[in-house]
Amino acid sequence: MIAAPAAGRRHVDAQVGLVIFLGATAMLFAAMLLAYAIIRAQAPAWPPAGTPPFPRGAAAANTLALVAASLALRRGRPRAAFGFGAAFLALQGVLWRHLVAVHLGPGAGALGEVFFALSTLHALHVLGGLVALALTRARRPRLHALYWDFVLAIWVVLYVAVCLL
Amino acid sequence: MSGGEATGPLEGEDSSEAALDPTGDEIQRAPTGFLRRYVFSLDHKVIGRQFLFLGLAFLAVGGAMAMLIRWQLARPGVPVPVVGKLLFGPSGGVISPVAYTALFTMHGTIMIFFAVTPILIGGFGNFCLPLMIGARDMAFPRLNLASFWAMFAATAVLTASFFVPLGPPEAGWTAYATLSTAIGAPGPGQTLWVVAIYLNGASSVMGAVNYITTVLRLRAPGMTWFRMPLTVWGFFLTSILNALFVPVLAAAMVLLFFDRVLGTQFFIAGTTPGAGGDPILYQHLFWLFGHPEVYILILPAWGIVGDLLSFFARKPVFGYRVTVGALVGVVVLSTVVYGHHMFTTGMSPLLGESFMLLTMIISVPTSLIVLSWLGTLWRGAIRFPTPMLFCLGLVFTFGVGGLTGLYLADITADMYLHDTYFVVGHFHLIMAAALLMSLFAATYFWFPKMFGRMMSEGLGKLHFWLTFLPLNVVFFGMLLIGVQGMQRRLYDPSVYDFLKPLLPLNQAISRAAFLLGAAQLIFVLNFFWSLARGARAAANPWEVGTLEWTVASPPPHHNFDRIPIVVHGPHELGHPDARPLGRDWLAQTEVIPEAPAAAAPPAKPTEPA
Amino acid sequence: MHIVLPRDASLDGHLVDGAIGYLTATTGIAFLAALAFLAAALVLHRARAGRTWGHHTHGNRARDRALMFAVALVLFVAVDVTLALRTTRELETRFWRYPDGDPSALRVEVTARQWAWTFRTAGPDGRFGTPDDVLTLNELDVPIGRPVYLKLRSRDVVHSLYLPSFRTKIDAIPGATTRAWVQATTPGRYEIGCAQHCGVSHYKMRGLLVVRPEADYAEWLARAETDSLLRQDPAAPGEIGAWNWETGK
Repeated sequence: MIAAPAAGRRHVDAQVGLVIFLGATAMLFAAMLLAYAIIRAQAPAWPPAGTPPFPRGAAAANTLALVAASLALRRGRPRAAFGFGAAFLALQGVLWRHLVAVHLGPGAGALGEVFFALSTLHALHVLGGLVALALTRARRPRLHALYWDFVLAIWVVLYVAVCLL
Repeated sequence: MSGGEATGPLEGEDSSEAALDPTGDEIQRAPTGFLRRYVFSLDHKVIGRQFLFLGLAFLAVGGAMAMLIRWQLARPGVPVPVVGKLLFGPSGGVISPVAYTALFTMHGTIMIFFAVTPILIGGFGNFCLPLMIGARDMAFPRLNLASFWAMFAATAVLTASFFVPLGPPEAGWTAYATLSTAIGAPGPGQTLWVVAIYLNGASSVMGAVNYITTVLRLRAPGMTWFRMPLTVWGFFLTSILNALFVPVLAAAMVLLFFDRVLGTQFFIAGTTPGAGGDPILYQHLFWLFGHPEVYILILPAWGIVGDLLSFFARKPVFGYRVTVGALVGVVVLSTVVYGHHMFTTGMSPLLGESFMLLTMIISVPTSLIVLSWLGTLWRGAIRFPTPMLFCLGLVFTFGVGGLTGLYLADITADMYLHDTYFVVGHFHLIMAAALLMSLFAATYFWFPKMFGRMMSEGLGKLHFWLTFLPLNVVFFGMLLIGVQGMQRRLYDPSVYDFLKPLLPLNQAISRAAFLLGAAQLIFVLNFFWSLARGARAAANPWEVGTLEWTVASPPPHHNFDRIPIVVHGPHELGHPDARPLGRDWLAQTEVIPEAPAAAAPPAKPTEPA
Repeated sequence: MHIVLPRDASLDGHLVDGAIGYLTATTGIAFLAALAFLAAALVLHRARAGRTWGHHTHGNRARDRALMFAVALVLFVAVDVTLALRTTRELETRFWRYPDGDPSALRVEVTARQWAWTFRTAGPDGRFGTPDDVLTLNELDVPIGRPVYLKLRSRDVVHSLYLPSFRTKIDAIPGATTRAWVQATTPGRYEIGCAQHCGVSHYKMRGLLVVRPEADYAEWLARAETDSLLRQDPAAPGEIGAWNWETGK
């Protein structure tokens, strides 16, 4: 067996490792969604009686920031991606403040709590992506792109599951 | 477990630090500074030793807690001798109910998450995996470093939980909601517990990503899947389970953290039924992780014992492929049986019966594994050094532990035995007895490779007998006490009239436990004495063929001068072709010599002109 | 070693003891057989002068595999399958056949809290929420010969109602209703325990199950109703009586 050039081989190693890590992260969100499904299945009505309407539009609008971050990475613009990612976090912060104000925050009923828990955990992963971009100075752009696509996909899944369904 | 921890350290090493060997592989130079060499090392062998020492230290702490628990059950309300005044001063040296509850909570937490996990998976996994597959290090050395320090941070947080207002966590190692929420545990101790478990899980996932990638990508040429030692299979499959199910535990911890800190109600039932959360949801998440966790810990032990039985029986593993298939089967089945922990929660009949049947099906691959052990020993030329004694000890204790699991898989018997000492005895036979046997076997076996010195055989054998015999008295005793109805986690069983006659048996168990505890001092003595004064170890003192024994003891920083080329399976013992060499084994790299007449002169590397 | 299980005072407890006995016999035989084989191997095939070489086989021939699978399958059928069939039958004909349609069944609402049991019995009219309800703390009184149908709730954390002399236990869970049924055969006083760790005083969460012949029970009931009327505080119902026993909601 001829050894592949070490650098190229290490790149594949990193890809494999990242995919395994994303698999583990997917299990984290899957478990959270399972918890949501069980809570929802047991509730007499969903959303629970007295829950104010969820601001779907605002949450959907934030998606654009993540899409932009993903696209920017694919176009080889890590700085722009960083900006869009940070903007997403800021917009989520605004959304959470709004949710707390309209009684959809923690301690104010199951729907708000589920969204809050899932979106917080998601935001931490966005933050992790930003830190990684900064620390590695966007080396290995394909790995970063994969990670941000994953973060976008998770967001879309949890938006559909919690806000639309 | 945020993304930063993964993407950052996934980067490889700077090539400026590396030299190249003739095949184009880089060889890391050993760092020279003290910190880089011993504290923040990237070398899997150093990180493995760090995990080993951390785990052994916590094994001692968790073991000491077990001694205190046994004291209380043997002499309820009597001050603890020697250390009582120091530990339980305010109650005059007597273990209070609060202290007792904290003790069994922390004993379980420490033993599972902070002793056995770091020793077996972090310690031996790290040390053995790259060496056994012929790699120079893990795929991601920095991630490996991060994994150890995440574990270290977790131990710091856990330790801190002892010293906060309202006391240490008291919800048991399973931390069932709502006892673990603000309803049952208002203090910050339980919150720190949640954080510690989360960090511990982060460490495990980082390790899992590393181990899986390493096995997938860094196997030496010729190290095919079915030439991997069973030990490697054990660590590989364990890592897969870790990567899949530790995140489920993490989800439970995240939700519990929100419930405790932010006032959400995921695990807290609302005032009207159906509104709010569900305490049983916690149990689902916990056992969805918790049952695979049993296999996460036992798979490496099975792997190690599978290899070692073959090595010391001087005979190949009997049915290697069947065993590998059985290990994979256990991994698959382990994901769908967790419900047997919850038979008494009133689950639906269909669900209950399904979980019962699925659990019982696990006995098929498990029997295959045991049959492979027995088949390996049969017609061997069995040697009995210390590691072999511990392996045989595992065969015995695992047999009893595995079979008693059937009682708890059976819904009828479980209605009576659930949450009694029968459960405690059963899972200790697996999680304590069998795992201790495997990690002692591993220590005696790989100590020469890790530290370059042999451990004392005399002290080792004494340690085995003084461990094996009392250990079985302790856990058999627990089974007997359980079948007579004694519940778990009782501060003072004599509150119940029907448990009063069990005091003598409890005292016998405690006496055996103290003997067991004291016997571990022999191990400590042997360990440190051998570290300083043990006989120098040869490269291959056990005369076996796996790759770690083809290099010096301890191995050089880069493990292999040349990446080995593997031509055999790991268990070529009693091999007829080795006869001309005057020994009974072939190394995995060894090309079988032709008949002497046809022997070609060894190929000499030709210098380029 | 003398092993004494708590005295069985129930109609179906012997089924549990039977399952345990069956398991002990079958797994015991399997274990002893394996142990005998192991001992034989260790003695006969230990390394010694004249036995320095192990037999070189990988056990990968079809014959070897067939042998392993055959032994594993025989064990599985002999122990697991027979046990599962037996247990499924018993669950479906006995333990899970709740006396919903049996008017003679004694209906009991069990409320667990840290660290006590409250039992509310429906009284002679068989209905909850009527003045003849009987409320007792840490003591449950039942007649022999009639099914006792328990439905449980918890007010704080998870508890588990454990009746060692009836060979059963069932969790009491906040926000959910669980159920179990037993039938007493022998008069006497039997202990009730909590089996699920429920906090510091878990060990003190003990109760008594008092089994009386039907006539004695009727006499006790008449007395207890008066006591219980005095004890009940309709202004502070809490969890007790706050839910419909029949539907569990």
